Amino acid sequence: MIKLENVSKVYKGEVVALREASADIQKGEFVFLVGPSGSGKSTFIRLLNKEENPDEGRILVAGKDINQLNGWKVPYLRRNIGCIFQDFKLLAAKTVAENVSFALEVIGRPKHVVQTQVPAILELVGLSSKAHHLPHELSGGEQQRVSIARAFVNRPLILLADEPTGNLDPATSKGIMGLLERINETGTTVVMATHDRGIVDDMRRRVIELDRGKIVRDQAHGVYE
Amino acid sequence: MALKMNYVVRETGINLWRNVTLTVASMVTVAASLALVGSALLLRQGVENLTARWEGGIEFIVFLQPNATEDQRAAVEQALTDNPEVDTISYVDQQAAYDEFKELFRNSPDLVDAVTAEVLPPSYRVVPRVPDAEVVAALGEQFETRPGVREVVFAFDTVRSIQAVSATISLYIFVAAVVLLVVAGLLILNTIRMAMFARRREIEVMKLVGATNWFIRVPFMLEGMIQGLVGGAFAVLLILGLATLFGSIGGSDDLAIFQGLAVAGSELVTICLLLMGIGIVVGAIGSGIAVTRFLDV
Repeated sequence: MIKLENVSKVYKGEVVALREASADIQKGEFVFLVGPSGSGKSTFIRLLNKEENPDEGRILVAGKDINQLNGWKVPYLRRNIGCIFQDFKLLAAKTVAENVSFALEVIGRPKHVVQTQVPAILELVGLSSKAHHLPHELSGGEQQRVSIARAFVNRPLILLADEPTGNLDPATSKGIMGLLERINETGTTVVMATHDRGIVDDMRRRVIELDRGKIVRDQAHGVYE
Repeated sequence: MALKMNYVVRETGINLWRNVTLTVASMVTVAASLALVGSALLLRQGVENLTARWEGGIEFIVFLQPNATEDQRAAVEQALTDNPEVDTISYVDQQAAYDEFKELFRNSPDLVDAVTAEVLPPSYRVVPRVPDAEVVAALGEQFETRPGVREVVFAFDTVRSIQAVSATISLYIFVAAVVLLVVAGLLILNTIRMAMFARRREIEVMKLVGATNWFIRVPFMLEGMIQGLVGGAFAVLLILGLATLFGSIGGSDDLAIFQGLAVAGSELVTICLLLMGIGIVVGAIGSGIAVTRFLDV
């Protein structure tokens, strides 16, 4: 599903974010990216989404070399990739339901699809009762559930998560991880960058550890350290 | 990709309202510059109408008496064609003169009614081989005393100076207008940039979930074009006012010379459509630069 071949990324000619990284992630896998701040986890994620381009190496997503992708095709790549972030990136002026339906409307999904998909996904993340609340009326965990709903409502093949529990307490984080596991069980590949030792040790999934841009460990059923 | 109409209309409306002061500034600048373009065009068209009979290098006109005999007319024609200094001539008979008179004084139907083809002088329009003032004067004077000739009217004394002055004025107005149009384009660019900045979070999410570039751009481009179009519409109102003013000046007898400056309805429509078109183009260019420079994937 995702393949990196000797990928390097250097910022401003000196800061090495990723150095000859190679990895092969199968469809339906759940992968943790771990490592200290500045080790290249976010760059890894941003490269997969083509928010940035590598300086060297090849990246294949769903069998396609995304470096070769024309600019106008990038939006279609992103429709297959859901993204969630530490800071949720919800639109403050829109309600929970509007935030989720926005993601479908702006890619031109017809009204009847929006009207059936949005309640279904809110049901999945357990927020049906808060559909008409604004983001600031929700707890951090609930806001992250909205952002997961938005990322998953279009049923992407891949879900990228950049420290999704970074702002949440351990109990809430556990709930979010449960949700991500359920999404993973539907066959969606999940790649999650995290600092959260407890979660990684708990879940015992594949762990890719980065240190100053190099992949120093790639272990099935791994732990944080 | 289905660009939903109501989505585009709603987004464009919100953008226009959010930056209302900058939006108004751009529209007024577009209107001012296009009003200048319009008045330059109006002036040029008016002068063209006024001096239509002097087009194509005609330097003097030999007017015959309305009651000149056929022999007198033939003698004048013969003398003109035989003269080596004359390049070409064209004969305007009384009916053609009347048609031209009607066109020139179309805003004064009383005057047109009072005149018939019989009282108007037929004429020869003469293009000399050398358009030198002295040569032309000497050439024209030979015909002033011929039997059947009423008078010889030269281009260089009045018409050429009107044409020269109007060309100079038009040029200055055009230069000022182009400068203002560039300013208007930059203002629109900046307004669109502000609008995009105000909505950067929405734009970020749209890119993230895979909205196409054009889907994101269209509302902003439309906003720019509407600014240009509204500015153009204001300019049209100003120009229509100016055209009416021209017409009313020409209406008074003292200033009959300005009569010809009045511009016909069809010419006015062309000018107005042109102004609105330029407005839209300026808006499209300004917003187009904004969305391509500041809205890339």
